[in-house]
Amino acid sequence: MTHLAPPSVRLLICGNADRGDDGAALSAIATLLPALPSALLERLEVRRCGHLRVEDLLDVRPGQVAVVVDAAVGIPPGHVVTLPIWQIVADPNAPAPRSSHELPIDQVLGLARELRPGGLPDGTFVGIGGRRFGYGRPLSRSVRLNMTNFQDAIAAELSLLTHISSEGPAASG
Amino acid sequence: MQGDDGGTLVADAPGIDHEFKVGYITRVEGEGSLSLRVRDGAVVEARLRIFEAPRYFERLVVGRTGDEVVDIVARICGICPIAYQMTAVHAFEDLYGIEIDPSVRALRRLLYCGEYIQSHALHVYLLHAPDYLGYPSALAMAVDHRAVVEQGLALKRTGNQLIAALGGRPVHPISVRVGGFSKAPRRSDLDGVRAALDAAVEQSLATVRLVATWDPPALEHPQPLVALRHEAEYPYNDGRIVSTDGLDLAPGAWREAFEEHHLEGSNALHARTHDGRVYLLGPTARIALAADRLHPLAAEALEATGLRDAIRTNIHRSIVARAVELLHACAEARDIIDGYRPPSEPKVAFTPRAGVAAWSTEAPRGLLHHRYEVDEQGHVTHAQIVPPTSQNQGAIEADLAAFAPAVLGLPHAEATHQLEMLIRAYDPCISCATHFLDLRIQDERSGKGT
Repeated sequence: MTHLAPPSVRLLICGNADRGDDGAALSAIATLLPALPSALLERLEVRRCGHLRVEDLLDVRPGQVAVVVDAAVGIPPGHVVTLPIWQIVADPNAPAPRSSHELPIDQVLGLARELRPGGLPDGTFVGIGGRRFGYGRPLSRSVRLNMTNFQDAIAAELSLLTHISSEGPAASG
Repeated sequence: MQGDDGGTLVADAPGIDHEFKVGYITRVEGEGSLSLRVRDGAVVEARLRIFEAPRYFERLVVGRTGDEVVDIVARICGICPIAYQMTAVHAFEDLYGIEIDPSVRALRRLLYCGEYIQSHALHVYLLHAPDYLGYPSALAMAVDHRAVVEQGLALKRTGNQLIAALGGRPVHPISVRVGGFSKAPRRSDLDGVRAALDAAVEQSLATVRLVATWDPPALEHPQPLVALRHEAEYPYNDGRIVSTDGLDLAPGAWREAFEEHHLEGSNALHARTHDGRVYLLGPTARIALAADRLHPLAAEALEATGLRDAIRTNIHRSIVARAVELLHACAEARDIIDGYRPPSEPKVAFTPRAGVAAWSTEAPRGLLHHRYEVDEQGHVTHAQIVPPTSQNQGAIEADLAAFAPAVLGLPHAEATHQLEMLIRAYDPCISCATHFLDLRIQDERSGKGT
């Protein structure tokens, strides 16, 4: 019997597909994940979370890291950012995930830091600046043109955290 | 109805002494502000301004079928999407004469229980509790009251778990359909959340006991109350629209007693009775008008607080009403799952017809009314959606006017806190954001400001 190691990365995909650039993360992941090699996919726990909640971070296991993928506030439309999660808490001016609904993002991350044994989980935020977020709107041109950069940044971070190359035979088809 | 006159409270007021402005109200869902004008120690104007941009959902659903409307209106709110889905689905089913399976009806109540649990836990613990425990935020409160915050998050998680089990995901669920559900869960699909509900019942009972010990600011200001009342159940999906003044209407007949107005300075329509009076919706109204329909555990807990009358007259006590409803939702959810038998078919077929589809349900924040004009093909030609927060704006302003004189002599920061706290007691869902506070007090005679 083969025993798989538990996933080492919790991939938190935020946003809504029907709200313009709020769906950037969902759009990126939809085509990125099938292209990743199975060895890397096996290391991922993928969670679609709509808006980021404290609960999504509280039960990140010791040794597991979190990657939050979302549209970002604080950067120009189409720009891609990769930064440690802790930096969002430490620097109020840092780019941050946009999809925080119930509480402001500093409260979400702060509560996770306060309540989770071991504090805020290690991890990364990979975001893309958005231009429009109205219901029923498609992705903006700024986001569409930079979607490949966004996907590359996500893949690079997953590869870095799992120590598995994102290149190689895709898991499906 | 008896109560305050409708419209923003304004008096002819030459020579205004003070003007209070809260630029961004914190720990509410959305973007709103408060302004108070004071003359000779009396409030001459109290205005809650909702400046979040119009979202045009009533236009977006035009040309859509009932099932499309159910999915679209869920996007109005990330906290209470089920309320919007339930109101729409019942409206269309009422127009089309659809009789749903009793098991489907039970599942809908179960779904509504999930929304009440997550919404009320969020508000009681993360938005409102910091006011009572003396903290600016849930994060600051968590440092000293870790167990309180953890209990709130545990309850919220159970509510989200329930919604996900029935709706496919915790936010903006996708399973509700005109005639039933796209898919009904197996009993085993609910095992996980059933186990969590045992703990949730205990946690919510502890919540009632906890919040009942918190001393609110003094306020004696009873307002006319409006809620659904059902012959056998605590009101969620249906019942008649009743009030403390003797109103008794079918759930689709909201327009027979109420109407909406646009007021300058607010992007949300205000609702009034036809004779222009304001009224109060939400947990306070439901407890006042339907406490005898509470689950026995919740009824017993309410009785033990000794606060039923205080809930009626002091909006600050709404946190107790909300906690009692939290317990009700947990207990009823547990009972529904224990008695659940999957329906033979999750959805019944129907034939659309032209007419008016109108219904009201009880969202966590109060009565939510939908009205759709539908053509022969089942496409919407006109829509009216009346959320509870827009209906409560007048009551909020009336309460502010009644409460403000007691805080005008307080230090600036404390007065600000107390005024915001009153607004938060309503759990207003303006929409999707939370901001920091910017309060200015303007003395127009001296020109001094702080």
